[in-house]
Amino acid sequence: MPVGAWNHRSSHRSMGWLPELRQKALVAAAVAFIATLLSVSAAYAFDELTPPAAKGCPDCHGLESGFTSPTVAPTRKGPHGGYSAGTQKCGTCHTVHAAPPDGVLLLPKTTIKDTCFTCHDGTGGNGVYGVLNARGITPAAQHRIEVTNLVPGGDPNGDAKTKTFSAANGYLTCSDCHSPHDAETVSAFAGDRARTSTDTTFPLSPATNRLLKKQPTSSPWSVDQYGSSWCGGCHEGRMYGSAGVVNHPVETETAGFYYDNIVRVTGTDTNTTEMGTLGGNNFGYVMPITRSAQQSGHYPICQQCHEDSRNIGDVSPGQIAPGETFSVTTSDGQNAANNPRFQAFPHESENAYFTVEQNDDLCLNCHIPPG
Amino acid sequence: MIAKLRSLRLTQRQAFAFLAIILALALIALLIYLLWLLSRGGFTSGGGAVVEGLRPIYVIDGPGEGEKPKFDRPMGVAYGKDGRIYVSDTDNNRVCVFNGRGQFLFEFGEFGVAKPLPGGEMSWVEGRMNFPLGIDVDDEGNIYVADFRNDQIQVFDREGIFLRRFPDPMQVVGKGASGQDGTGIAVTDVAVWDGKVYALDSYQVVVFTADGEFYAQFGKPGSGPGDLDRPNGIDVADDGTIYVSDSNHNRVTAFDQTGEVLWTLGEPIGEMAAEVEYVFGLPRGITVMSDGSILVVDAFEHTLSEATAQGDFVRRYGRRGTQPAEFNFPNAVDDNDDRIVVADKENNRVQVLELLK
Repeated sequence: MPVGAWNHRSSHRSMGWLPELRQKALVAAAVAFIATLLSVSAAYAFDELTPPAAKGCPDCHGLESGFTSPTVAPTRKGPHGGYSAGTQKCGTCHTVHAAPPDGVLLLPKTTIKDTCFTCHDGTGGNGVYGVLNARGITPAAQHRIEVTNLVPGGDPNGDAKTKTFSAANGYLTCSDCHSPHDAETVSAFAGDRARTSTDTTFPLSPATNRLLKKQPTSSPWSVDQYGSSWCGGCHEGRMYGSAGVVNHPVETETAGFYYDNIVRVTGTDTNTTEMGTLGGNNFGYVMPITRSAQQSGHYPICQQCHEDSRNIGDVSPGQIAPGETFSVTTSDGQNAANNPRFQAFPHESENAYFTVEQNDDLCLNCHIPPG
Repeated sequence: MIAKLRSLRLTQRQAFAFLAIILALALIALLIYLLWLLSRGGFTSGGGAVVEGLRPIYVIDGPGEGEKPKFDRPMGVAYGKDGRIYVSDTDNNRVCVFNGRGQFLFEFGEFGVAKPLPGGEMSWVEGRMNFPLGIDVDDEGNIYVADFRNDQIQVFDREGIFLRRFPDPMQVVGKGASGQDGTGIAVTDVAVWDGKVYALDSYQVVVFTADGEFYAQFGKPGSGPGDLDRPNGIDVADDGTIYVSDSNHNRVTAFDQTGEVLWTLGEPIGEMAAEVEYVFGLPRGITVMSDGSILVVDAFEHTLSEATAQGDFVRRYGRRGTQPAEFNFPNAVDDNDDRIVVADKENNRVQVLELLK
């Protein structure tokens, strides 16, 4: 039908307003199009990965709390620290346009835990969550992330206590103990995990601080060294001198005892002691009775009993069994007696309460049974 | 013409009839579009503007059907000779297979523990997986999967039927490898070339025959030339050169067939200062392209980096983001003549792209 025929059949109920509507629609569409162009161009004009000339991320976002300079640990590998003025490494993790709308801190995932797992999935190193399930084992102990904020021994009287951490609902998350920016962290210590690219003889070099904060979230105090006082920031009721401690109090940093400075036996098959680091061997995991002069009057630190599960030998009270070896082998697995096996402490353990050995296997290393 | 349109007058009935015809046509067009979309299979979408040297072709978000219609952190991809795309859907413990147009074909695999500790449950049967990572396909279409947390490699035929596994995850491999307790291999990636399988463990390259017999190994912990630290990508060129993404050393190393170092590109990053030039933030997957150059996934730069066969850096492709040709912690790449496929891990997708050199 010719178009003109429609006009010919027009009546008082015609659609004569259509041209005017079309004009308005055209104008509206043009305005919307221009507005869209303006908004889009503004969005794309900002390159989130490249700071403005001669500026780094800290120039606009400031420094980590407590820092006066953006330059921190110079040897840190990866995106965790080692920043200098003008660094562009913030963009490795933080993203303006690619962050999920329900996320936090412009991170690539919706939670801090998932963001950490982006890289820390085991393909770049040991010590992660999930390694026990991979071996068919349900972990007997975990620092459960983003599921709870109830801290065993969190109250100075020894009871469990609900604390407020950084994840949703106040739950504990990775950044409550670790500083992803290596800001205000403890001194490097000889950890048990051989995850560096250097040779795997102990003590490890370079040592690492595991990015542990001096003052974990909710901790009432700040410490410089990793050891009992660090753990006690959350588990206050387990510290020596706390009102609720009735058994196994732990030594403190104030007494000069921490992870890299404890009394340990000098080797296998001996009761002779020295001051040294806990990590790197098993020499310091037991304090057999009768104690040496260096051990006398002191308590163990947390990590002497709570660490990666391992065989610390068949030690009789008062005497280390002849021929017992306590070596910690490397994580490259070339030694079939790899020990510790998972190196996932303190994230998860096959042993309850993160004890290095279980039940009386642990207790009898120091205590003389009655009779 | 405009004057004619302006003078147009329609009765109400005519106007409604006109609108009805328009709506009917739109509905028909929509149905045709939906039929076309469904025929493509999976969560597949296509097209997009060129971004930093990459032209998007299409994106696959998962099989689009079954109990797990979407990927969960895909960390390995491979092209078959027939153009099929194989995806290690890592957190779902499966392999998904698509045709060259991105249509979902089939999947295989589920969670299984092959190396339990005393007291743990042995849940592995043939074909079950535990954090599958790298993947490659031989000329016959057989599929090789790096079964990372089971410390083994599994081989399937082109239809996903289990054929064999090696090494025995409970036995020492060669002089020793990085599997739990020193047995098996904590294998992150595999490459098949000339009847041999090249596998990565935490500090070494371990070579097997296609049947799974141990053949050779080289590399060790350390920071010298040829030392490796958690490598995550391996491929072999037509001339036999072995390229390894030495991830924690922030470098790529080329080896000859005897394990001798030919060259390295990049170096371990100490101070991450802005003024320090570095080649790779975190090199992960790697592929040799048809012209002999290599393409490296840089997970921390959220890009792909190209280098020549002689070890000279060329340029980066792509950028960070969630749109086509943008990446969010990508992990693997493979090449098929004019196309590449990328495991875009934290975007939970696989992208098929054209590289515009």
